[in-house]
Amino acid sequence: MSLSKHAGATSNTGSAGSIGPVGIVANPASGKDVRRLVARASVFDNQEKQAIVGRAVIGAVAAGATEFVYLNDRHGIVANALAEHPHVNARSILEGDTMTALDTISAARAMKEAGCSVVMTLGGDGTNRAFTLGWPDAPLIPISTGTNNVFPNMGEATVAGAAAGIIASGLVSVAEVSRPHKLIEVSIDGERDDLALIDAVLTRERFVGARALLSPEQLAAILLTRADPASVGMAAVGGLIQPVKHSSSKALLLKLCGDNEAQAKHKIKAPIAPGLYTDLHIEDIDVIGLDKPVIWHGPGVLAFDGERERTLLPNQYATLKVTRNGPKVVRISKVMRKAAAKGCFVT
Amino acid sequence: MSTQISNDTLIDMHRRMVRIRLFEETAGKMMEDGKIPGALHLYVGEEAVAGGVMVHLSDEDQITSTHRGHGHLIAKGGEFDQMFAELYGRSTGYCKGKGGSMHISNMELGILGANGIVGGGPPIAMGAAFGNKFLKNNKVAVCFFGDGASNEGSFHEAANMAGLYKLPVVFVCENNGFGEYTPQANHQAIVDVADRAAGYGMPGVIVDGMDAVAVYEAAGEAVDRARSGKGPTLLECKTYRFFDHVGVRGMGLTYRSDEEVERWKKRDPILLMEERLLEQKVLSAEQIKAVHDITSEEVLAGIKFAEESPFPDPSSLTEDVYA
Repeated sequence: MSLSKHAGATSNTGSAGSIGPVGIVANPASGKDVRRLVARASVFDNQEKQAIVGRAVIGAVAAGATEFVYLNDRHGIVANALAEHPHVNARSILEGDTMTALDTISAARAMKEAGCSVVMTLGGDGTNRAFTLGWPDAPLIPISTGTNNVFPNMGEATVAGAAAGIIASGLVSVAEVSRPHKLIEVSIDGERDDLALIDAVLTRERFVGARALLSPEQLAAILLTRADPASVGMAAVGGLIQPVKHSSSKALLLKLCGDNEAQAKHKIKAPIAPGLYTDLHIEDIDVIGLDKPVIWHGPGVLAFDGERERTLLPNQYATLKVTRNGPKVVRISKVMRKAAAKGCFVT
Repeated sequence: MSTQISNDTLIDMHRRMVRIRLFEETAGKMMEDGKIPGALHLYVGEEAVAGGVMVHLSDEDQITSTHRGHGHLIAKGGEFDQMFAELYGRSTGYCKGKGGSMHISNMELGILGANGIVGGGPPIAMGAAFGNKFLKNNKVAVCFFGDGASNEGSFHEAANMAGLYKLPVVFVCENNGFGEYTPQANHQAIVDVADRAAGYGMPGVIVDGMDAVAVYEAAGEAVDRARSGKGPTLLECKTYRFFDHVGVRGMGLTYRSDEEVERWKKRDPILLMEERLLEQKVLSAEQIKAVHDITSEEVLAGIKFAEESPFPDPSSLTEDVYA
């Protein structure tokens, strides 16, 4: 079944979106780092990711999607999933040769250029951060296959795909089912800019290393776009004291004091990674407005969305501010309710 | 998990990596000049793996190595004199000149052997780990192997038993993208060997094998896990060999492009390490140069020792031979 026949009918309702290909990025590296060893994070092998893409494509086609573009990673996750649907019009938009986050960043730029109406990403917070580096205000349906999964949806890929198909067919516009996500914009003196979607952390470690952020005594500061007590990772640390919603025009800034209990205003036990609770000492906590600059000085390492990413030398500093310039994250349930109301799936 | 790493450990890792690099570069030249007999499979490009893992081990801990084993042996404490003597086939070598490049072993250093058989190491490491658990001696066995070896039945049998009995062993897969001359995509249907861990009830994780600090952190967790009785780990290090499968230039086959090699060389593990040492003011440029200079002298001394050593006496032909 395809719902593309409805596209023209709904274009007169005033709520139709732009028609364009569905982008697909499946990060082959997500769900495999050292956090499987030091914490109890989920493992996502690439067969499972392929199956998830397959279900999402079936959902999207059922909802009327007719054109797909994808990052062709060396694992062939998307290509293999699409091979089971030879009737689907799909093309690789980029060959993922570097096997690093650069592939995702480059694919994001190419998908923007190609006019994708919506993009499905498979990964965790880190994958979506990489995509956002290439296309900051992308229309996204993030599907969770990562470690820290505050940003992506934990729902079923078939339905996520259907939502993508409905948007790609122009039956529902991204604007009516999404809200721009908050973003932490980071400038580091003398170096390229960076960003985070959920959390930026200053840790007093020295190296990026294996990336996992699991030395609580080294944490110096945390800046959060969302603080959610029902999440895992740094968002939980803030959320367990002072929740800040995705919809709020606020951000949360925490100053930590390592092992110095006497200095701590708050002592909490928080899940800093899946299956890993630890005690943390918080010296200060501030709810701050959007666009307010926060300055962090080196030495240390900056971690974004759960992974150590950038080294700050003793004479360096970083300026961070939370804005609402992030990706337009599609609310799948809202898309499906609108689709149902329009009778999109009635045969 | 504490990821703080001391300056002493950084300096130690760097020294081990430089020792591997300079040994291998010289050994490769000696082989291609016809001074060292037989085939050498050189470890240049993969030094961060041996360096990052081995700093967690004592002489009591055991390793099994591969046909590309010099790096493991040097990082585990192998001396240049006996290493070169073995490559030269001299009686002063680790195996009295009868083992050669692919069979160097030394029980005092816990080196259970390089191995010319692809996939030969895992059952030996598993057996050593079984012994360690049985004897409650607190030792850990580390098995180095490649992406190609992960296709062999011996790996799967060893991994199965290690997972079943929660043995103190770490399986370190050095995935350099090629099984000899065969690109990984042509010899296995997966790209991440770590995915295979789930089938044997152990965690499988991936780490950047060009970054010694990353390997150090992940290997530390895996070794601690093994030593504390929690069982085995499959640690996949994504790495790359800068030289050919055999020797430096090898046979000049076109199984990979020069551009690909050059791309990987931009992430040379020793250069990456030295950038960090300088950036963090752990060592100065002069101190780094001194490490290279001293090591170069040791390499030359090792060659001199080997060239001046006698060949094994023909009367010892059947000694130390097991058949």
